[in-house]
This record gives sequence, C-alpha cells and structure tokens, in this order.
Amino acid sequence: MKHRIWFKALALVAVLTIVATACADDGGGDGGPGAGEVDCATVEFGCVEVGADEPIKLGAAQVISGADASLGQDQVNALELAIDYLDESFDQTPGTLLDHPVELTVEDELCSAEGGQTAGTALAADTSIVAVVGTSCSSAALGVADTILGDKGITLISGSNTSPALTDPELHNPFYARTAHNDRIQGAIGAEFALGEDLGATTAATIADESPYTQGLVGAFEANFEAGGGTITGSEQVNSEDTDFKPVLRSLAEQDPEVLYFPIFVAACTLIIRQAQDIMPDAELIVADGCLSSDTLKNAGPAADGVWASSPDLSAFQSDEFYSGEFIPAYQEAFGSEPLAVFHAHSFDAANVVFAAIEEVAIDNGDGSLSIPRQALRDAIFATEGFDGVTGTITCLDTGDCATDVTIGLFLAPGWPVEGGTDDPAVYTDTKSLDEVL
Amino acid sequence: MAARRWVRTGAFAGIVTIFLALVGLIGGFTDVFLIGDEVTFAGLMLLLPAFVAGFVAAAPRIEGGERREMSLGEAAVAAAVAAASAGFVFALAVLFTDLIGDERIRPIFLNVSPSLMEFVAFGQSTVVGAVILVALSTMAGVLGGVLRAAPPVIRRPVTAAVVVTVLFGFLQRVIPIALDQLSLERDWLYHPIHDGLTWVGAAVVAAISAGISLLNTRFGARVRGSLSSSIGGRSGLAMSPVRLIASVAAVALLIAAPLLLGSVISEVLGTVMVFALLGIGLNIVVGYAGLLDLGYVFFFALGAYSLALLTGATLNVYGVPPDPAISGDLNFYIAIPIVMLIAAAAGLLVGAPVLRLRGDYLALVTLGLGEMVTVLVGSPWLVPLVGGPSGMRGITDAAIGGFAFRDPQRFYYLALAFVALAAFLSWRLATSRIGRAWTAMREDEQTADAMGISTTRFKLLAFAIGGAIGSLGGALFAVKIGSLTPASFQVIVSIQVLGLVILGGLGSIPGVLVGALVLVGLPGLLREFEEYRFLAYGAAVVAVMVLRPQGLVPNVRRSRELQEEERAQDEWAKAVEEGETPGELGPPAEVTT
Amino acid sequence: MAPSLRGGTLAGTEAPHVAVARLGRFERLPWRRIILVVLGIVVGGVVVLGTLRTLGLDRVEGGYSGGAWRDFIVQGAAQGAIFAMIALGYSLVYGILRMINFAHGEVFMAGAFGSFFFADAYAKSGFLNRSPLLALAIVTLVAVAVSVGTAVLLERLAYRPLRNAPRLVPLITAIGATLFLQNAFRGFFGPQPYGYPKPTVLAGNITVLGVQIQRTQLLVLVVAVICMIVLQWFVATTRTGRSMRAVAQDREIASLMGINVDRVIVVTFAIGGVLAGIAGVLFSLSFEQVQFTMGFRPGIAAFTAAVLGGIGSIGGAALGGFVIGLLQAVGPPLILTGFGIPSVFSLKDAFVFLVLVLVLVFRPGGLLGTGEAEKV
Repeated sequence: MKHRIWFKALALVAVLTIVATACADDGGGDGGPGAGEVDCATVEFGCVEVGADEPIKLGAAQVISGADASLGQDQVNALELAIDYLDESFDQTPGTLLDHPVELTVEDELCSAEGGQTAGTALAADTSIVAVVGTSCSSAALGVADTILGDKGITLISGSNTSPALTDPELHNPFYARTAHNDRIQGAIGAEFALGEDLGATTAATIADESPYTQGLVGAFEANFEAGGGTITGSEQVNSEDTDFKPVLRSLAEQDPEVLYFPIFVAACTLIIRQAQDIMPDAELIVADGCLSSDTLKNAGPAADGVWASSPDLSAFQSDEFYSGEFIPAYQEAFGSEPLAVFHAHSFDAANVVFAAIEEVAIDNGDGSLSIPRQALRDAIFATEGFDGVTGTITCLDTGDCATDVTIGLFLAPGWPVEGGTDDPAVYTDTKSLDEVL
Repeated sequence: MAARRWVRTGAFAGIVTIFLALVGLIGGFTDVFLIGDEVTFAGLMLLLPAFVAGFVAAAPRIEGGERREMSLGEAAVAAAVAAASAGFVFALAVLFTDLIGDERIRPIFLNVSPSLMEFVAFGQSTVVGAVILVALSTMAGVLGGVLRAAPPVIRRPVTAAVVVTVLFGFLQRVIPIALDQLSLERDWLYHPIHDGLTWVGAAVVAAISAGISLLNTRFGARVRGSLSSSIGGRSGLAMSPVRLIASVAAVALLIAAPLLLGSVISEVLGTVMVFALLGIGLNIVVGYAGLLDLGYVFFFALGAYSLALLTGATLNVYGVPPDPAISGDLNFYIAIPIVMLIAAAAGLLVGAPVLRLRGDYLALVTLGLGEMVTVLVGSPWLVPLVGGPSGMRGITDAAIGGFAFRDPQRFYYLALAFVALAAFLSWRLATSRIGRAWTAMREDEQTADAMGISTTRFKLLAFAIGGAIGSLGGALFAVKIGSLTPASFQVIVSIQVLGLVILGGLGSIPGVLVGALVLVGLPGLLREFEEYRFLAYGAAVVAVMVLRPQGLVPNVRRSRELQEEERAQDEWAKAVEEGETPGELGPPAEVTT
Repeated sequence: MAPSLRGGTLAGTEAPHVAVARLGRFERLPWRRIILVVLGIVVGGVVVLGTLRTLGLDRVEGGYSGGAWRDFIVQGAAQGAIFAMIALGYSLVYGILRMINFAHGEVFMAGAFGSFFFADAYAKSGFLNRSPLLALAIVTLVAVAVSVGTAVLLERLAYRPLRNAPRLVPLITAIGATLFLQNAFRGFFGPQPYGYPKPTVLAGNITVLGVQIQRTQLLVLVVAVICMIVLQWFVATTRTGRSMRAVAQDREIASLMGINVDRVIVVTFAIGGVLAGIAGVLFSLSFEQVQFTMGFRPGIAAFTAAVLGGIGSIGGAALGGFVIGLLQAVGPPLILTGFGIPSVFSLKDAFVFLVLVLVLVFRPGGLLGTGEAEKV
C-alpha cells in the first residue's frame, strides 16, 4: 500500500511539473488570472479537475417533493435556464462554460434539516461538483448543509433562504452565500411602514409560527418597530397546523394594538385573516411574502381585502426588458407553465454569479481540461461586486449576503401582485441596505 | 360460488388500481424505467394489482378444515377470471373518465393528468386502450395464478427472481453508486440514459437470484428441520449451521457496508442505525414488557437536547447571545452516560404515576408526553435554553483524540458500535430473569401479579431502560446532524419507530434492524418516492398487523407464544399459523363471534 | 411460568441477581404514593398561584378584562362542541369493541373534504346562497356518506380481521390507517388548503342572552347538542341501540341471544361516521378551510376528550369535548400568564396533555368513568 501512495505522489508531482511547464510556455495566455498563482496540490480544499470532455458539474439542493415542491422546482427550472443561457440566448440548447458543458445534479432537501443533511452529503460526496445552488429552505441550510458543504470547501449559494440567522456574523459559514434578500430588511421595512404616515401606528402585536422564516421576520419587525419608537403590545406563537386562532387573537386584542403583524404561511395565515376580521376589526393586518399567494386571496375571499402584504418588490425587475421579454417566455416555453414560485430569478442570478466566478478562477491546463480551485472560487464569489443580475446589482458581503440593497413593497389586497389579485402597484416601497437595519 | 369470490377479489384489485392512479402512483411515474425501455414503474403499478389478484384467487382454500390445492388449469381459470375483473373495473373507470372528460375531473382529483390518460390508453383510442388493458391484466393475473399453483421448486425461484429484479430496478440510483465505489463496470447492468436495468442485466440478476433461491430450497428442508427442532427444544436460540453462516455473513456485511457503498449510502445507513437504536429501546418497552408507548420521541428529544446542552452547543437564534442558559463543556463520551441517566430518571418520573394505567390509556398518555416535548422545545418560553423554533447548532462530533465521527462513513461505525452494545444488552435482558418476568407480565398481567411479580416495578424498569436507549439514539442523531430543530422531533418519529419494531417483529432484535432498513433505509434511498413514503408506511403497518402480526423476522419464542395463543383462540390465527396469506381480503372464513 | 421475584430468593446469574437486589431495595419505598402526593401538591399550588397572579394583573400589565374571559369561554365551548362530536365516535367504538379507533380523526377529515367539492360547486352556482338550508343539507349528507363509507371500510378491511387479536394490535393498525388515510387524501387532492364556502346567512354575529356570538359558533353548539340528545335517545330506546348496549356488555352472550354482532359493530362505526361527517361540515363552516392535515389535531384532541370524560360513556365524551375546548382557550391565559411566560398559547397543547395526565393519574376512569382504567 505504502508504495502505491508514494508512486501516486511522485506521478502527481511529475504531472504538475509538466502542466506548470506547459503553462509557462503558453506565457499564461490561456491560463486565466488564476493560473500560476494556485497550486492544486497544496492549496486548501484542492481543485475540482474537469477532464477535457467532461462537463462542469453544478449541484442543486432544492426541495422537489412535498408541500413546498414548487419552491424548489421553480429554482431548478431557473438553473436549467441559466445553463441554457450560457451562450447568451434562450434556445433550449445548453450553452457551454469555458468550452465545457454544464451539468446539473439535483438533490432533494425536503425543506428540513434531515433532508438538508442527506442532500448535502450526497453533493459533498461527489468530488466533481464545483458549487451548489441551494437550499430552498433555511432550515435545510442552517448548520446542516452549509456546514457539510463548507467542510469540503464547496460554496453553497441560495436563491431563496431569507433567514437572518444564516448570515449572522456569529453563525455564518464562510462558504455560504445567498442572492435572496435577508429578512431583516423585509421585517424592518414592515415596521417602518407600520410606524410611518400610511398607518401611523404606535402599537403592534405579532404572531409567529414554529418556522425559522416567521421567527426571523417577527424578530426583525419587533426590533425595528421598538427602535422606531413603537410598542409591541404582545407576541404570540402558534402552530401552523392549528385552525382555531380566536383565543390567541382575543388575548392580543386586549391591548388594542393598531397593527397585527403575522408573517405566516398560507394555510394558517388565511385562517387568521378571517378570524381577525371579527375579533380585531380595527387593527391593520400585515403579512409577508409567505402569505402573498393566490390561494390566500381565493380562500379568504372578501376577508382578505385591506390586508397588507410585504414582499420584495419584484416589479423593479419584472418590468425589466430581459426578464419579461426573454426570461419569462423562455421559462414558459421550456416548462410549459408560468413560473411556479417567486425565487427563480434569484436562483438564475446565483448560477450566473457562480459561472462568472468559475470563468475567473478556472485554470486551463492546456489540454482542454480545467482545474477549479475551491477556495479561490469561493473568494471570487464573495468578491462579486456590481454584478448586473436580473434581480438587481449584486455585491456580496463577507457575511454572505449578496442582495445588499433590497426594495420591499407593501401591497394592499386585493391589489396583490398574484394571480387573482388586481395587481395594483405597491402602496409603499422603500430600499434599504443591511447596515441600515437592526 | 367460487367464481363469485374470484370476481370479488378481482374487483377489489381493480379498485386498488384506481386508487393507485388517483394518488398519482401511475401517471407520475410513466418515465421511471425499471427494465429497458419497456417496463416502467407506472406499468408495474398498473398491472401489479391484477397479478396479485390472480395469485390470491389461485391460493389454496381451507374447505371443511382441509387445505385444498388448485391444479394448474383451475388456477389459471381462477386467476384469469379475477384479473379480467380487475382490468374490467379499471377500464370502466378509464372509460367513464374519458366520457365526462378528464379535464373536468382534474380540478378534484389532481392526478388524473393527461399523461395518465395517455398512458392507460396505450397510445390508442380509449376503447381500444380499454381492451388492451383488460387483456394485459388478464395475462398478468394468469401469470400470478399459475405461479401460485406451481410446485414450490418452481414457485420459489421464480418469485425470488421477480422480486429481486424489481428491487434492483428500484435501486437504480443506489446500486450504480456502489458499483462505482468498487470500480466495477455498470453499463451492462444499468441503462446509461434512462437509468433502469438493461434487459441483459435484468436477466443476470433474475438468474442469480433464482439460483440462490433454488439452492436455498434444497438446503431449506434441512434448515427448517433444525429450526423447528430448535423451536421445539428447550432453548429458542440454538442455531443451525446454515443459520450461523447467514448470521456471520449479515454481520460481515454490516461491518463492510460503508466501505463498499461510499458516503452517500452510508449517510442513509447512519440514519438507519440511529433508528435501529431507537427500535431496540422501544422494543424493550413494547416488545418485551408489552407497554404501548406512542410518545417515544420524548426520549429521542431528551437525548438530543441534553447532549447538546452538556457538550456546549450554541443557539441558532439570531439576535440573542449564542450560549444557552445551561451549558456544559463535557466530552461526548462523558456526556453520554449522563444523558442516559437523565433519560432513565425521566422515564421513572413520568412512568411512576401512569404505568398502572391500562394499556391503551398508557398509549394515550405517552402520546401526550411526546406532544408536550415537541411543543416545549419549540416554544418561545424555552428559547434561551434550547433555541425555540430555530434550534441549536454546533453539536460535538464525538471525536476521540482528534478523530471526528461526523463524516457519514465514520458515523456509521460509531452508531453501529452503540447498536451492537444496545442489542447485546437487550438480548441479555431478554434471556435474564427480568426478561422472563416481562414475558409473564406481558402475557397475563394479573397472573404475573398473583405469582408475586411486582408488575409496576418491572414496567418502570422497562420504561427506564427503554428511555435510556432512546436517549442514546437521540444523542447520536444530534451528533450525526450537528444541528437541532424542533421539526426533527415530531410525533411522526414515535410512529416511525413503532412501525419498524412491528414490521420487524415485536421482541425480535434482528427484526428491528430489518424493520429499520425497510422503513428508514429504503425511503432514504428511494428519494423519488418521498411523497408516498408515509402512504406506504401506513399501508405496511396495517398489512403486517392483519396478515403477519409476528413481523418479518419474528422472535422465535414470541412467535411460538403467538401461535399457541392463536391455536387456542380463533379463526384469525389460522391464516397466520399456516404461514399463508389468507384466501381473500379477510380471514379464510367469515368470523362469527 | 415465571418464578417469584420478590427478594431475589432464586439463584441466578450475576447480572440479574444484582438487578433484582436493587429492585428489592427500590421496592421498599412507596414511590408511587410519594410521587403522586408531591405531584398533586405542586400542580395544585401552581394552578392556584398562577390563577391568582393572573387575576391580579392590570390590563396594562398583560391582564385580561371580563369581556375577554367571556369570549374565551364562548370560543372554547364552540371548539369543544366539535371535539365532543368527534369524541362520541371514539367513545361508541370503544364501548362496543374496547378498541381505540385512532383513525377516527381521519374519518372526520374525509367527510369534510368530500363535502367540500359539493359545497364549492354550490357556492359557484349560487345555489348555496339561494337556498342555504337545502344546500347545507345536501352537503351534510355527502359528508356523512363519505365519513360513514370510510369508517365502515376501515372496519371491514383493517379491524374485523383483528377482532380477537391482543388489544394493542388493532390500536397499532389504527395508527397505520391514520397515516394511510391522511396521505391518500393528500395524494388525491394535493397538500394545499381549500377555502370552504359559507352561506351568507351564517356570516356575522348574533346576540344571545346578552352574549355576542358568531352565527357559526351558535350553529355548532346547537347542532352538537341536538346530535348528542338524539344519540342518547337512539342508544337508550331503539332496538339497534339496545343491541349495541348488549354487545358492549358481553359480546358472546349477545351473540348467543341472537344479536348479529358483526352488524352491530358495523352500525356502531357507521354512527361514529355520521357524527364525524356532521362535525366535519360544522368545522368547515366555522373555519372555512379544509386541508388533508385537518383531522389529526382535532382527532387527538377528541380522543383525549373521550378519555378525559370517561371513554365508553356518551355523556363523558360530550363533557370531555367541552372541557378540552375550554382548557385550550381559557387555561393558558388563566394559569400561565401569571408567571410571565411569553406566548402562553404556544403551550396550549402541552397544557391539555398535562391536564389529561393528571386526570388519569388521580381519576383513572376519567371524569364520568367507572375507574376501570386501572388494571392492577
């Protein structure tokens, strides 16, 4: 056994010497900026070796089964479009990256920590995977997929995780980034709106459920609402599978809050909207993007009228010529439907950030094969600055947030920008950057 | 009379097929290939009920207390009638759907998709499609019937070949990984484009499994002979040489598995081991002591969270200090005994007041305890302690001198070691005087009590030991996943563990392993069927309870008890004791009480 | 035959010997008594202290007004009425078969879901608001039919083959059936919630005896009480009811007396199904939403209610249902608020189970039961 290892090492050194010589002969012309600076044998986490005829493999950890499947499938579709668009056109033929085709490996993260672990392990085990776009749900990433992939030096970049915890300086994994917005901003702008002249509220109550998503939003809302001079009169937590929220609402109503903030998912959100109508007829109801759905409008009926919903203002890029004129038609043609959820554009951007970084750091070995150093790739992704994405200009921070300036709009039902809504423009919009909010 | 029974069996199979279509198991899987270009999963689902109907229709009947086998011809006729009825019922449903328009049914039954309609029409007009459907069903059924009536020397190898080949088809994402791991060629076995088995591969797999089954049948008589003598003998544990070889092979496979299968499958196997550990613990409570515990997740959560707190994990919550209100800094191996002690104490504490309750009440109370722990770990009240809904992270990786166990392959060995330890402990307990007291108590509590066995105390002991092992499972789960959220500690965990103990066979330790492999391992490997996981789970639990209550790998002693009980009892037993599936949907004869 | 284990009088291998000796010492202390007494004192103290502290709170400090308490009681009672109706199904089956039909919550879900498609169609065609009484009657009939069908199928396929099996076997089967039914409905109709239409006559509030109450809540209460009275009458006076009671008393003797036991059992499941179907419609009208998960939690609450009230007794199930409903609505604010616990309602399920455990510990037969829960 020992002999073999020595032999392998010797062979490796020999090959590297030859490669290095070849590069030197080329004068670094084809080698890209990374060439010569990185030695794959010694650099931490090593390089991904892509043979001359092999594809570059991109991983995807998305939820593609269960109740949240549309969230993940939408992003998988977007990733396929991103590969299609490598040749700068949506022509249903995949483009190439540095003359290599790009192959997508999709693992189901089931929107849970366990699923995140299985998906993360499967992707981390495949040494040919360059980077992973995902996860769909924050709980699959938090301390699970981010750690498993990060330990192997694989960058995980998400198009739909919005939990503030993921990029909290205390909790951030250095290999985790996201193009989705951080819910600190959504919560803060929700609070700003509640305090502002539209509602002019000074008191608010909140309801969260057991998901990290609502926890993040409610936390941000409460912190910013109180910092802005308001008072939180009560906060409750409910179970998303419950149906009777009347006692909860009645108890919050005791303090007569002017605003009720409950960024919960559709099923429970609809029930609360209905039940609050009776119990808190005077309070302004504010929900977030987890409830901003055609199902809510359909199931709550007229009770939904007058409910505010905060959401990243997609109109900014939806009116964009590329998005509406090229991306959406290509999506419809390729998958036969309107986009299934809202984060396809974010994942499309995430893939393109990764592609750009690969182009920057990949070492062309001269024989058609590539070496992609993992650490350098991560650094290049985190160094992304002023990248012109579909969702806006993308600049990545050290904590992994790449959507630094986020525009949040507040929509008044039935004017929500969803199917079945009257699609009115946002009543209030604001753009904030992460360092402006708590 | 007989014909009516066949038609009834067939009609039921037809309704099962309609059910499979409506839940999406046919229309959603028309492009999942099992073998070559021809055999898809959807096709299998479409014809399997008819096949089973034929098989069941041709089963031997018990008439006037005697078993009557069918001749091949009779079997073929019976099976044809049954399967044709199955096909007919399904074809009627298809025609009906077509008549009123599938687009009008789709808003209600979401899975009546165009691809389903196209698939069941075989690309023809609906009427022609219906005829083809009935014809194919009949063929499948006749195959089943002939197989059932064939002599065992043919039936067993053919059944083995079919089952194993289909299983290989299912494992199309797993076996290639294992082959790659072993640097073996795979393209001859699995189709490179649509992933199913190639016909050559299928033929090889079928031939090998038939061969093994044939060999097994020839030795089988001897094995069964020695097995029954060991059942009849005093000790239920004497092993025949064949069984010994099989056991040694199984142990060797357990030890070599991660090296052969690589990290992806090892990760799933690690989960299997965690659940096996939980199963061993619950088996003591349910299988040995006969106490139905529906809240086993209580100990699972207790183990996971107390390990996290003892070893210095941090909160996952943004915006609060990362250290939990109680935080130890212990080594994993020092923390583990403490965790188990806490769990045992908790078992005693919650058990003491409730264990005198009747079995089904106890089930309810334990269910409540499980619910309570789920609610508590997710409540805002305990955020400073366990992180609430966001949970905890940074759990120890159980390293020994820098050798960490987080890696899936290494974790598997860690878990395997604990499973072996728990299995040994559990086996020693079962054969000890305590085990005998449990048995006496389980079989007849009043008599046991009258004999001077302090039942409450032995119940408590079972509860405490079971709880300690369950908490060990929780602690290992925490190490494996490295991050805890309340979502991992729902009531479904209790039900899953109970399900695997029952599937494997109450009281049987190898059964627990098999149960965990089937109920946790298979779903982990067959991710594309994730949505149907709990549907299959529920069906499996009901089927096992109705058809084979002693489980897949029954505890020898236990199944003997069960058999005795049955002989004394009633008709329900007869089907089980014969080792046969009942002649039709229910017991062989109507039960009149 | 198991030998006597007291005092470790029999020789054995080392390990069991030690265990037995330890048990012997353990045995000498009256552990159960001690734990019970301590538990009783602690719980009583906590309840009294919490209540006093809560009632002593001002509204600005997080206390509640009299109006809030009144509303909690009305809301709890309305929810409890639905629990009571489901609980009756558990209780009836238990009375006859001594078996907990865990899957009964899914029977309730099946009825509600089945009726949704009719209610939805009627709402779209305007029939629901034109003749709400007739439309609701048809919708209820559909719900009842689906629930009864599910319950009877369940009995025929899953429980009948196990009629004489050890007691825990059917309970485990029922758990399997729960998973199966839930996921089958998810497979049929998808995981998303559907909005259940409500005729406009049922919208809004009404004042009864000076208490303002939602019309649906009133409907729920009235229908539930009527159902219970009818059921009580049915069981007490009709021929089938008498057969049911006879089978509940002693199945074998009943069968010797010429009662068709199978038929009685099917009828029992069917009656449970009827009540579950009606409860399904009432539930859907009050919450205006159906989803495949909707049966599980109400099912467990009702199951708890049946045991709490004294399983096997109709009055007990009714009482238990109302008690659980009230506990969920009134209990957490009344007792927990005083201790300054945040988000008291997040603990309501834990609270209900705590009460259940306590009731079973101190009164094992349930509130109206006979005490037969205690085996030893």
